[in-house]
Amino acid sequence: MTKDLLLEALPKLEARRADRRAFLRGAGVATVAGGLMLSGCGDSNNNGVNVVPGSGTTPPLGTGSANPTNPGPALSDPDVLNFALNLEYLEAQFYAYAATGAGLSASAVTGTGTQGAVTGGRRVNFTDPLVAAYAREIAGDEVAHVLFLRQALGSAAVAQPAIDIGSSPTSAFSLAAQAAGLVPAGQAFDPYASDDNFLLAAFLFEDVGVTAYKGAAPLITNRTFVEASAGILAAEAYHAGLVRTALFRRSVATPSLVNATEAISNARDSLDGPADLDQGIAPVGGAANIVPTDANAVAFSRSAAQVLNIVYLNRASVSRGGFFPNGVNGAVNTSANNA
Amino acid sequence: MALITDLIDPQAPTEPLRAARRDFFRAIAGAAMMGSVASLATAANAQTGPSDADILNFALNLEYIEASFYSFAVFGTGLPADQQTGTGTQGAATGGRQVNFTDPVVRQLAREIAQDELAHVAFLRQALGSAAVAQPAIDVGVSPTSAFSRAAQAAGLVPPGGVFDPYASDENFLLAGYLFEDVGVTAYKGAAPLITNKTFLEASAGILAVEAYHAAILRTSLFAKGLSTPSLIDATEAISNARDSLDGPTDLDQGVRPTTDASGNQVSNIVPLDANGLAFSRSTGQVLNIVYLNRAQTNRGGFLPAGANGPLNTSAANG
Repeated sequence: MTKDLLLEALPKLEARRADRRAFLRGAGVATVAGGLMLSGCGDSNNNGVNVVPGSGTTPPLGTGSANPTNPGPALSDPDVLNFALNLEYLEAQFYAYAATGAGLSASAVTGTGTQGAVTGGRRVNFTDPLVAAYAREIAGDEVAHVLFLRQALGSAAVAQPAIDIGSSPTSAFSLAAQAAGLVPAGQAFDPYASDDNFLLAAFLFEDVGVTAYKGAAPLITNRTFVEASAGILAAEAYHAGLVRTALFRRSVATPSLVNATEAISNARDSLDGPADLDQGIAPVGGAANIVPTDANAVAFSRSAAQVLNIVYLNRASVSRGGFFPNGVNGAVNTSANNA
Repeated sequence: MALITDLIDPQAPTEPLRAARRDFFRAIAGAAMMGSVASLATAANAQTGPSDADILNFALNLEYIEASFYSFAVFGTGLPADQQTGTGTQGAATGGRQVNFTDPVVRQLAREIAQDELAHVAFLRQALGSAAVAQPAIDVGVSPTSAFSRAAQAAGLVPPGGVFDPYASDENFLLAGYLFEDVGVTAYKGAAPLITNKTFLEASAGILAVEAYHAAILRTSLFAKGLSTPSLIDATEAISNARDSLDGPTDLDQGVRPTTDASGNQVSNIVPLDANGLAFSRSTGQVLNIVYLNRAQTNRGGFLPAGANGPLNTSAANG
């Protein structure tokens, strides 16, 4: 079912993505500036709050397609950080299993809500020592993020929910890969089977983390948390840049990796609503595309609900599924209605 | 020339700190990390002075430098004339030239980064409107007294009086880009809690993310090339230490030298982070210490010979 939904939307999304990148890459600086003006004037979400002091005619920053974030009902800082903690549990478990064969320690998964188990992860038998070194680094960073957020939240920290990082034909990874067309319907995608599969699975997560933290940035009220969250955002973007650069370098010998990133990107994009918020690594006009950005070279945002569309692998408004079979813990647990 | 002495001498003390921090972090992964919240508090910047426009204009100065460097390296030209105007004293970007890339992957990466940085300049100028500062005088040249050469001399990449030419090879280009990108990340992160307008904050977070992607591109490329050219790894550590020696006593910087975990396996260090897995912050004054290549409080020098335009133009007093 998920696959049909995804495939149906792919051609349209792909065309839009190509348009945007072609606009940015083909145009010079002057045209880009013109685009800013257009997007600023055409956006209905300005509310007049964005005028820079001393400049009465300034188009607002951050308007247009790059900013789909709709804050909706007010969330507390712990709500936002707990939402992030769910994502960090997922990333930390995947990388920790892939790098070491073991997951988070028992003391690092307790908390409020319903605690669940992680199922299906295992150690990758890396062949490229560089990729193995990358996996260990990212695993350590993601585990540190879990510990940091748990410490910051204290007794308010949510428990780890049930997490599916398995490789059966009905696992979240396999369903995502089937939807993206990486494997045929009903067939398994094993992120632990090879260096390349590991990198593609990592690619699946990291850009989503960047858009999630960016989308959450304006929702956080405490300045200290704003800065800390920006620090995690940066780490996720470094990770994403690392993974995408490694895939791009390896695609010289294995060109199909480029197509795989585009397919995964399109699958993500088909879940999170009509705006195109995602890009693979296919080069555009002689330039690489390691960095997924809008025409202003600003990274994309996703709302928490849009992020949940992707991790639940469902474009409808639901509270569980995909990588979180029982849903995420905390107040922010429902995906957006993009069906 | 006193600058260079200032740059060199504190390298030794910072390196053990860095190693200790990474080792600490790597060794305790999975265990409880008591007391880590303290770093949240110390990371906060208490100053309340600058307006959002001041901060964005500060960022625009940095984007002018980056865009000029990458634009010369990839296209052989600086910014278009209509992208240099604004308030303050307009200056020229001098000394850049096109790189004759040999690795087609590096050529494509460079082109992408150049386009992104040009877009950042255009975006910030558009957002600031008539309040945007002009491009200040920028030194991206290759003479023995250029900012790049003096930074490289201070880092020990070239001997005193020697030339570092960032346009001479793929590797030199990557090292020069590396010199800038991590600083951009720390600058945007340090500025994040100072921005009051939520829309600006989100946009700024979006540029922060892009600078981090860029930094990862360069660091991942340098690390991979370092397999066959180990001196590249050493060079990143030297540049990191040189940056760190300028911005005050706290260690806010790391090269790409890998560490080893408890099982003896290599752990890469593409991402410069503290023990909590957070990127570092620098204040605007600390960023200017690096850009001006001066640990003392000053308002010009290094890559900006006439100083940054706008009210945030003074480096921190670390001398």
